[in-house]
Amino acid sequence: MIRKIASVSCFALGLLLFVVGASAHHGGAAYDGSQTITVTGEVTKFEFINPHVLIYIAVTDESGKVVEWSGELTTPIRLARMDSGGAEKWSKDILQPGDEITLSGNPARSGAPSLRLRKVIDSHGVALIGGTN
Amino acid sequence: MLQRETMLIGALVTALMLSSSLFAQTDEHGDDLSGVWTNFAIEASRPFQNSALRGDPPPMTAWAQERYAQAKPTFGSKSVAVVETNDPVYDCFRPGTPRIYLHPFPMEIIQTPGRVLMLFEYDHTVRQIYTDGREHRTDLAPMWMGDATGHWEGETLVVETVNFNDKTWIDREGVPHSDQLRVFERIRLDEDDNLLIDITIEDPVAFTESWTGQRRYRRVDWNIEEFACMDNVVFAEYEQEILNYDPNATQ
Repeated sequence: MIRKIASVSCFALGLLLFVVGASAHHGGAAYDGSQTITVTGEVTKFEFINPHVLIYIAVTDESGKVVEWSGELTTPIRLARMDSGGAEKWSKDILQPGDEITLSGNPARSGAPSLRLRKVIDSHGVALIGGTN
Repeated sequence: MLQRETMLIGALVTALMLSSSLFAQTDEHGDDLSGVWTNFAIEASRPFQNSALRGDPPPMTAWAQERYAQAKPTFGSKSVAVVETNDPVYDCFRPGTPRIYLHPFPMEIIQTPGRVLMLFEYDHTVRQIYTDGREHRTDLAPMWMGDATGHWEGETLVVETVNFNDKTWIDREGVPHSDQLRVFERIRLDEDDNLLIDITIEDPVAFTESWTGQRRYRRVDWNIEEFACMDNVVFAEYEQEILNYDPNATQ
């Protein structure tokens, strides 16, 4: 069954101000750079780890089914150094389980609910990376 | 007569020792390159700054083309997903020289008498560039990062690195090299206090002619932090899950 995610929307990749840098480290062949998907949900897990930071959120679809999406960022030290265009200073405590956040990024080519992140918006509407809205 | 010749030879030997001694002193001159540096791409190289020294493949011999065809890099025109790569760096072997410059992490230069150290954040890789006038070692096995010696020409640190094994790639796009690789670098500050590294690659087994690349770095007020390559190996499990995902499977 192909999932439908209520809060998914697609945009053409183009006017992104910041390149997050996951591809700088590892290459990004697993993701489709021509698409951007946005999902909103509660943080279930936040791993501020090498080589890439991972954010997991629980997203509820139209039918009420909960799907866990994961998002991949660059290395924690790059984020902590503000070397990736981040509006906030990243740390291992910047996100907590239960925070309602929005993730935008390039989807996995396999169809897995996983993103190479381009934008992260926290529970206060602040773009932690990737722009101001 | 014999005594005069002996004295003359003695004088010549003394002069040679003096000039050698003077050379050893000037060897330590040059700009202070010490500090932490991060990549500051030259405009023309932005599209490939994290994966190659040049925008097109270098002029490869048939020997190199055969190996290039077998390479499965994660960058460049023939990139594959991480789980499908045969890039030796993903097995945590040293990246080699000059490839270490292509990994997007800072490096620190520490100048000491007789030796310039490059401490790379990426897997804490270290290059030791001996500037005390020594020759390259020939008694050790070929190395991942090569054996580097250098000297100062004015404000420029001139480095020659040899004695490589043939197991690393020149870049992150799968271009190979042989154990005959010689890497020449001219390292200096520009007028804006950026670090410029001119790189010349010579390898008659792999390339039909020598070729060049350039890197630029800017100073940053950072410390070199930890980045352990083995974390990549663990992370591969996450990437494998993404790649193997079956969208038709019910959960």
